[in-house]
Amino acid sequence: MTQIELRGVQKFFGAVQVIKDLNLKISDNEFIVLLGQSGCGKTTTLRAIAGLETIDEGDILIDGKPVQHLKAADRDIAMVFQSFSLYPHMSVYENIAFPLRATRKSKAEIDSEVRSVAKTLQITDLLGKKPSALSGGDMQRVAIGRALVRRPKAMLMDEPIGALDAKLREEMRAEIKRLHIKQGSTTIYVTHDQIEAMSLADRIVIMHEGVLQQVGSPDEVYSRPANLFVAQFVGSPVMNVADAAVAENAASASVTVGDATTSFEFPRALLSKLNGHAGGQLALGIRPEGVLIRREAADGFMAVETQIVEPLGSFDIVDLKVGSNMLRARTKSGFISGPGEKVFARIDPTQAHFFDKASGKSLEVRL
Amino acid sequence: MAAVRTSSEIGFNRVAIVAVLLVTIIFLAPIYWIASTAFKPRNLATTIPPTVVFQPEISPFVKLFTKRSQLRSPPTPEEYAAAPWWERVVFDGGEKIVRDGKGQVQWSGYPSRFLNSLIIAITSTVLAVGMGTFTAYGFSRFKVKGEADLLFFILSTRMLPPVVVAIPMFLMYRAVGLNDTHVGLIILYTAFNLSFSVWLMKGFMDEIPKEYEEAALVDGYTRMEAFFKIVLPEAATGIAATAVFCFITAWNEYAFALIMTNRRAQTAPPFIPSQVGSGLPDWTVIAAGTFLFLLPVAIFTFLLRNHLLRGMSFGAIRK
Repeated sequence: MTQIELRGVQKFFGAVQVIKDLNLKISDNEFIVLLGQSGCGKTTTLRAIAGLETIDEGDILIDGKPVQHLKAADRDIAMVFQSFSLYPHMSVYENIAFPLRATRKSKAEIDSEVRSVAKTLQITDLLGKKPSALSGGDMQRVAIGRALVRRPKAMLMDEPIGALDAKLREEMRAEIKRLHIKQGSTTIYVTHDQIEAMSLADRIVIMHEGVLQQVGSPDEVYSRPANLFVAQFVGSPVMNVADAAVAENAASASVTVGDATTSFEFPRALLSKLNGHAGGQLALGIRPEGVLIRREAADGFMAVETQIVEPLGSFDIVDLKVGSNMLRARTKSGFISGPGEKVFARIDPTQAHFFDKASGKSLEVRL
Repeated sequence: MAAVRTSSEIGFNRVAIVAVLLVTIIFLAPIYWIASTAFKPRNLATTIPPTVVFQPEISPFVKLFTKRSQLRSPPTPEEYAAAPWWERVVFDGGEKIVRDGKGQVQWSGYPSRFLNSLIIAITSTVLAVGMGTFTAYGFSRFKVKGEADLLFFILSTRMLPPVVVAIPMFLMYRAVGLNDTHVGLIILYTAFNLSFSVWLMKGFMDEIPKEYEEAALVDGYTRMEAFFKIVLPEAATGIAATAVFCFITAWNEYAFALIMTNRRAQTAPPFIPSQVGSGLPDWTVIAAGTFLFLLPVAIFTFLLRNHLLRGMSFGAIRK
């Protein structure tokens, strides 16, 4: 049973503030992913929890006890590094046994625990090898084994599969998830890869320039991004974002994207939900799958011209020219044959997001 | 798949091999000269042209280790017959071994000088490499105020030819009674090697990823434990390379040893040339002394050769 809580954590590197007033509660057995671009403070946050980095203000609590003044060794936390950090001069067995040797366990106990972890991770036949003889995936398994063997209060993982190639990354991702379900330990995982975050996390914590942007389940951060940064950071292909102007029609609301001459039709309810922001500076966000395309004209569809088509196998991404803006839509593979086609597009109001352009915050419009 | 080599490549290869052989011969010639002279009879040591083919003998080594004096008259056949084989080779050279009142063979000064060399070189190497390793670790892992200046200051101790300070050092040493003591030379060589050791070890320490120690810290170890269990084994190559260089410097040092010591703590380098034998210089004995003196460095380097080769190329490539 391990809960981790960050309360008002601040961290400076010289004059640069890398963590700004971070508050986060992580419950027992939860798999939390810290997601953000490099330099956003996610790794520093993780290292602060591990005790490898001091914090300048705030509290880090593990099971309710402040630990920010404890040494890393006394926090009972395990960490998996991106570089694996297997000790090169020790065999796999010794690497896994190393954390246990810091405790007062007997040789027999250590041996049985090393072997049981090795069995879980299916690396028993590697125990006699040196890390340099292992493949990337096996190194990662050993690194995870070394972290698991002590049964720590929490597991911290710093881009643990970032150094692997794409195929292996996918395999290891599934393995980490399987392991988490089986072992169930509080885990904090750092990555810049939003696919990793979406597929692994119970909750995703998105950080940007040291500030926490949003905490939520993968579905929440995907379908209800709290601000423009989250909206564009999560999801691939990236969400379309464009300046938008909302006007009132007789039976509906119309949304004009950028300098386009025609506008998209929205339910009239949009106006009331925008709650007075309708006249302000707005940004419309719409994921490619929220842009609907058809070949024939229909009510509410706007005539547009296709630009480039990116075939991605299971679907295509088509750029549509709307005024001087480009709207990317997701279509069936081969639906659009190439640039210059005249098609009709509509924005699915239920998938549209409206943001206040000045603050970047979502206006929480749900239609 | 076999690589196809053009005839010009093969030709270049042959030329390169010849060049390497030539250079090797040039480098090894003095070593051969010393080694062969160490096994020559005295009368063949200085012949012109040099004697290349000869019956090797062990007498120079016997003479090296014993105190001798010139024979006024040849030994009697009884004396000769009663003498052990190693004494006979000295008789053959027209000398006799000096014995004390109880008939005990008197040792020459060489064994004690050799021992002094070993004690002083090993101790100063251990100290210089040990302190250098800790210092380098500190500079490499912690934010040290004025790090660049401090490192430059450490290096600046090497910017002067050491002999320049020999006279002041001698006076200082005499004042504090460190003249002709092992401790004196050990301090001197340690101080001299320390800057080199710090700089070299800093390079090696910088190459060891910080994550290794961090992993150990998270795994439940203190920084000191992490240093000894993780950093030191990782730095073994660097330590070996640094130790070889420090040892060679201390082992071969001549000028300070000559000035600072004369008997008790004298090392082999100033002693060997003073071994002129009775009468004319006995080059075979000097060669024997030099030959033995070369061995420890050769053995030390040979044992650490794998580390050394890696050590030399280590840090040349940044990941």
